[in-house]
Amino acid sequence: MEMLLMGLCMALFGTAVAAAAFGAATRSESRDSVEQPTLPLAKAVTPPRFFLDNTATPASTPSRQVPVEVLLQQIENHVRMEQAAAESFLALPTQAQLHSKTNSPFVN
Amino acid sequence: MEQELLNGVSSAEAGQVLELGTRMVVPAGTSLFRLGDPADRLFLVERGRIKLTLPMSVRGREEDVFVEERAPGQAVGWSALIPPYRFTLTATAALYDAQVIALPREALLKYFVANPAAGYKIALNLAVVVGHRLQLFQTMWLREMQRTVETHSA
Repeated sequence: MEMLLMGLCMALFGTAVAAAAFGAATRSESRDSVEQPTLPLAKAVTPPRFFLDNTATPASTPSRQVPVEVLLQQIENHVRMEQAAAESFLALPTQAQLHSKTNSPFVN
Repeated sequence: MEQELLNGVSSAEAGQVLELGTRMVVPAGTSLFRLGDPADRLFLVERGRIKLTLPMSVRGREEDVFVEERAPGQAVGWSALIPPYRFTLTATAALYDAQVIALPREALLKYFVANPAAGYKIALNLAVVVGHRLQLFQTMWLREMQRTVETHSA
């Protein structure tokens, strides 16, 4: 009888150990499946360009940015168009003339 | 060539005024004066064009941005007659060599004292030049303000 009880206890203990081990094993698997390792985002591959300091260009800079010289020319054209519009207003001061539209890309 | 600053002045008086000055050739791309320089001479454009610019930050770089252009017959640098006698723009010969007559302030003021009638007419002409610039830029400023208001209230 004592031997039987001893055997029963050993069996229960073994089952408990096996259940704990199984639980631990399955818990770590589920955690691994939730927390996927984060991979670094692939950087946009830009074609190599000569005479361009890539380190000075911010990552968010649009690749289709116009050169500074073109931008300065656009500013000059904008100022000239605005002056012409202002001259028209001064020649004939009306509200319509004051707020007349130009073809400048800065205002369209 | 008719100079806007000498409108209504007799040819003899205009000749006397021009004799006060010195002819200067400004090579293309060279500055006649720069923003903040002491302004002790007024310039009359005889040939070429003088581009007036102001510094502006463009993509983090300071660039001279076009403000206005002065053609033959027009005056440049009237800061020479208005305190605190500092240029408020940069003037550069655009594209081609320019030729100007540089009139020293001191000589000009002495002439006005000695010839008040001519001085009066020249001062009125200067007021027209200054007034036109004021009206022009006031209008341009208001147009920009209107656009700013439209953008922010949209």
